[in-house]
Amino acid sequence: MLDVSNLSVRFGDAYALRDASLTVHPGDRIGVVGESGSGKSMLAQALMGMVPESASMSGILKIDGTEMTRATEAQWRALRARRVAMIFQEPLAALNPLRRVGTTVMEPLRTHLGLSRTQARARTLDLFEEVGLPDPEQRLAAYPHELSGGQRQRVLIALALACDPKLLIADEPTTALDAEVAQRITDLLVRLSRDRAMALMIISHDLQVVARATRQLLVMYGGDIVERGETRKILSAPFHPYTRGLLAARPRPQLARPVPGTKRPRLPTIPGHIPALVDLPAGCRFSGRCPAELSRCRTTRSTEFRTGTGLAACHLLNPAERSKS
Amino acid sequence: MSFFLLRRTGGLVLTLLAISIVVFAVMNVLPGDPALTILGIDATDDARAALRVQLGLDDPAPVRYVQWIAGIARGDFGTSYSFGVPVAGLIAERLPLTLSLALSGTLLTLVIALAAGLYSASRHGRTGDWAVMILSQLGIAIPAFWLAILLVLLFAVNLRWFPPGGFPGWSDPLGSLRSLVLPTIALAAVQGAVLARVTRSSALEVMRLDFVRTARATGLSPARVLWRHVLPNALVPVITIVGMQFAGVVTGTIVIENVFYLPGLGRLIFQSIANRDIITVQALVLMVAAVVVLANFAVDVAYALIDPRLKARLA
Repeated sequence: MLDVSNLSVRFGDAYALRDASLTVHPGDRIGVVGESGSGKSMLAQALMGMVPESASMSGILKIDGTEMTRATEAQWRALRARRVAMIFQEPLAALNPLRRVGTTVMEPLRTHLGLSRTQARARTLDLFEEVGLPDPEQRLAAYPHELSGGQRQRVLIALALACDPKLLIADEPTTALDAEVAQRITDLLVRLSRDRAMALMIISHDLQVVARATRQLLVMYGGDIVERGETRKILSAPFHPYTRGLLAARPRPQLARPVPGTKRPRLPTIPGHIPALVDLPAGCRFSGRCPAELSRCRTTRSTEFRTGTGLAACHLLNPAERSKS
Repeated sequence: MSFFLLRRTGGLVLTLLAISIVVFAVMNVLPGDPALTILGIDATDDARAALRVQLGLDDPAPVRYVQWIAGIARGDFGTSYSFGVPVAGLIAERLPLTLSLALSGTLLTLVIALAAGLYSASRHGRTGDWAVMILSQLGIAIPAFWLAILLVLLFAVNLRWFPPGGFPGWSDPLGSLRSLVLPTIALAAVQGAVLARVTRSSALEVMRLDFVRTARATGLSPARVLWRHVLPNALVPVITIVGMQFAGVVTGTIVIENVFYLPGLGRLIFQSIANRDIITVQALVLMVAAVVVLANFAVDVAYALIDPRLKARLA
């Protein structure tokens, strides 16, 4: 339903997203990981047609066969909520504080689907039920500040589902929630994706969430997709040096509870910082921080090569490169 | 909510009492002898002394203050020195005009500010935004009385659409409305220009918030996002300023009523001061202060009505 190739988002000469390609089928569950500034949120905004006004989009972005890269705001509006819907990071901030949550969820049902007040109300109750909000009747009249964090996120999910989208993008859906609630929201998203044959894209820096919820994984760095494949396989056998660094930097229980009498091991980190958009190296974005860097990495970008687990954009995988060494 | 109202009403009464003390004190240190005003310069000293005793002016100031306040509590504001009729009657005659002018002025201010401010915010950084900003800068810079004179020249003298001044009385409703049009515009233009800027910056701030992004992501039209989601959230600072401006509008009517020869409180204040009619001035100043304090009270209640979070905290 979604076909993206060589999609770029630029601010002048600075790429926030560079030549991203991916295909999404109904029911797919895709995780997108990377640190802040990796372009993962820009990818999500591009798929919603909501990149900042100062940015320019190029490449091909087909939603249900319609090319949308140069679509007008009005054309995008017709797709939002109906084809692609999105939920955001801070559920409290993402809800209008002056509106009852029932009114918020009923709004697209009435304006987009033309339902009457009673129909919209009944539909909202069904949606609240589907996303597991307790006492849906009472929740209709609640204001966002009267709900818990998890309940607010469920309201936002209900809002996103209102017009039956084919793809739900969740941008850091659990970051503002505590661990147990985060897990329940993650499981809810997976269940909804299965029940509705709806594609789900979870953008997160939390590898646990992605491991739990998704089957495919995109690893992003500096606006590039650097590695992709099955989530499970990549997490157990990463190839790209950046993915390896990211996985090594993941906090693990054995790091927190060291063996008595031994020195507490330090959490490995990737040396350096992710550069600003304008300072990114022209070739591989990870060059300069990469432990396995080759001379050409800085200037030339690698195409994607097969790894044991999927695809990765890295010169180390180039057969020509390997025969040289 | 009811506790909130009770507490605010108590505060209201205390504020008005404090204002009355200040007004009374100021009026009594001003030079000028009411007996001289009433009897004229030809009266003998004896006659003036006798009148002062009759008016109770020979009592000590605290006694006079208490008598004045006690009278007001009964609805008796005293008798005007210069008109020779009860002050309460003078005020009751003129209050409807000033109140109508202040309300219509505030209403037009809101219409101008919300329309211009929201339009400007939605066109942020583009030509429309600039145009509104330049116009509002002009509006702020122009003095109300000068604008009033220009309006009279154009719409009354040249085009003859509206009367240049005067008031036919409420028995002629259509004529009354017509004579209020130009004063209302003169009052609202300046205030509207100020408020449009407040509305614009408040709306711009709200437009950056996450829930506006949610509304856009829900595929709602820009107009709907602006009016249903941005505007209500942008209103709190706007209402604060409206409450403060209401004081400006009420005092502004003093100038405007004089330009347009409207028989309202403003003209009465002007005449009473010129006549050293201290007891009338005292009552009028207290009146205007009360109107302003009440407007601020209304603003506080409006906050609670707009924002359910505030209502919850006040309950």
